[in-house]
Amino acid sequence: MVDVVLALVLVAIAVALSRVKGLNLERDILLGTLRAFAQLMAIGYLLNFIFDLHRLELVFVLLVVMVLIGGQTSSRRAKSLRGRFLIATCAIGLGTFATLGLLIGLGIIATQPRYLIPLAGMTIGNATRTCSLALERLRSELTSRAGEVEAALALGATSSQAAQHVIRAAVRAAMVPLVDTLKIVGLIQFPGAMTGMILAGAQPLDAVKIQLIIMYMLVAAALIASLSIALLVIRKYFTRDHQLVVL
Amino acid sequence: MTRELPVSFCLSASTRTDMPMRIVFEGVGKTRKYYDSQNSLWRQQVVLRDLTFQVEDAEVFTILGPSGAGKSTLLRLVNRLEDPSQGHIMLDGHLASSIDVIALRRDVGMVFQLPAFFPGTVRENVIYGPKLHGTKTGLDGLAETCLAAVGLSPDLLGRRTQDLSVGQQQRVCLARALANGPAILLLDEPTSALDLSATLAMERLIARLAVERRLTVLFVSHDLEQVRRVGQRTMLLIDGHMVELSETEALFTQPQSDLTRRFCAGLWKEEKHG
Repeated sequence: MVDVVLALVLVAIAVALSRVKGLNLERDILLGTLRAFAQLMAIGYLLNFIFDLHRLELVFVLLVVMVLIGGQTSSRRAKSLRGRFLIATCAIGLGTFATLGLLIGLGIIATQPRYLIPLAGMTIGNATRTCSLALERLRSELTSRAGEVEAALALGATSSQAAQHVIRAAVRAAMVPLVDTLKIVGLIQFPGAMTGMILAGAQPLDAVKIQLIIMYMLVAAALIASLSIALLVIRKYFTRDHQLVVL
Repeated sequence: MTRELPVSFCLSASTRTDMPMRIVFEGVGKTRKYYDSQNSLWRQQVVLRDLTFQVEDAEVFTILGPSGAGKSTLLRLVNRLEDPSQGHIMLDGHLASSIDVIALRRDVGMVFQLPAFFPGTVRENVIYGPKLHGTKTGLDGLAETCLAAVGLSPDLLGRRTQDLSVGQQQRVCLARALANGPAILLLDEPTSALDLSATLAMERLIARLAVERRLTVLFVSHDLEQVRRVGQRTMLLIDGHMVELSETEALFTQPQSDLTRRFCAGLWKEEKHG
């Protein structure tokens, strides 16, 4: 813990720089530092507690709570849509539990809290970001391509047929950051899990294996989540009679 | 709930072109909600007010009016891109709202003011409608026929739509609408982005197609001269009100209302803003 306190010197440097340069970030940095400390310490104690209990149902409850928080965060990107929280939560939950379930089913990860919770945490975090991006992009694509969508509707397309290009563009845009990360990982970026394992004394090759599993899981979960949210949300922009709702 | 379709909405594309249709508007009104961000509240805007009239089979009917009169909204009610807030529309004797909306839109083609295309070539755009509805064979022939019908060379089929001139693009939009074999054609200021010679060519083309294919055409325009050239009958629409409806020539030579006389003389705008 002394190390952590010493590392606060770096925060002090950041605050001083902000003050000298008039960036007006001091309050945000201090508040963020305190929040990060409190949140991480709390989750540290909670994880210790859950790991010691060895009860899977508690792990499941924790994952559901994490998915709900992810759903709440992502749904803020579509404030005008009804049912956004439920949709975002379902999409993130589907991406997370489908990929996690597959990895467990294939025997790649053990059903132990120390594996399930960190992996699910990373997956939910990524799926949340991807869903937020997909939601924002879906709206902007629908606005800018309303003429194209209505031209398709006027030719007798259903709303899902008319919005096909819009959905594709939104999901592709949402996946870009993750796909780019896949391309540069190991070349100019060392991912967090791998770095952490190496720092904790693991063999680099073992760390790489775990990191690869994590990357593949993140990609699959993010794609399932963003595609699900796009397909579920797009229905909200059309009436039952395949009319584009004024945005 | 499964809806029973009227006969004309079940015919194949090839035979449907012989089936003109009468459009009846009965007390049609339209209001829209919009957000007043200055006062942070939702308001209602009346776009169309109590319109009762009919468009005859195989007629070229023009809707004349200034910008914001509700002309485009009127067209969008016919193919149900929007629904009326009051009253109803009958197509060929059937309530538009009771017809399966996909079947209805196959029979009611529309060309918008600004060309909007799907990613891909001219061919892919022209056959978009028939492909949606399950046509798998003869698509190349259909694309060529439709392109020829609007006076474009089949050499354009492989071209990307963005590489065409605006005049060509608008013709491709017309070909795309014709590929579904519609009985009604809705044209929302289709020449507003064209120069005079392209406009005149487009007008001649529409007149020819209306006769050859026995199409019922609703043509929206704010251009007095164009309406005079194109329309058999014309409705003057201002602020959502039907000011006058008559034979097009009579509208200009024997207007029944003072507002029509002033509008046709080009004085309405000055009066409005002056």
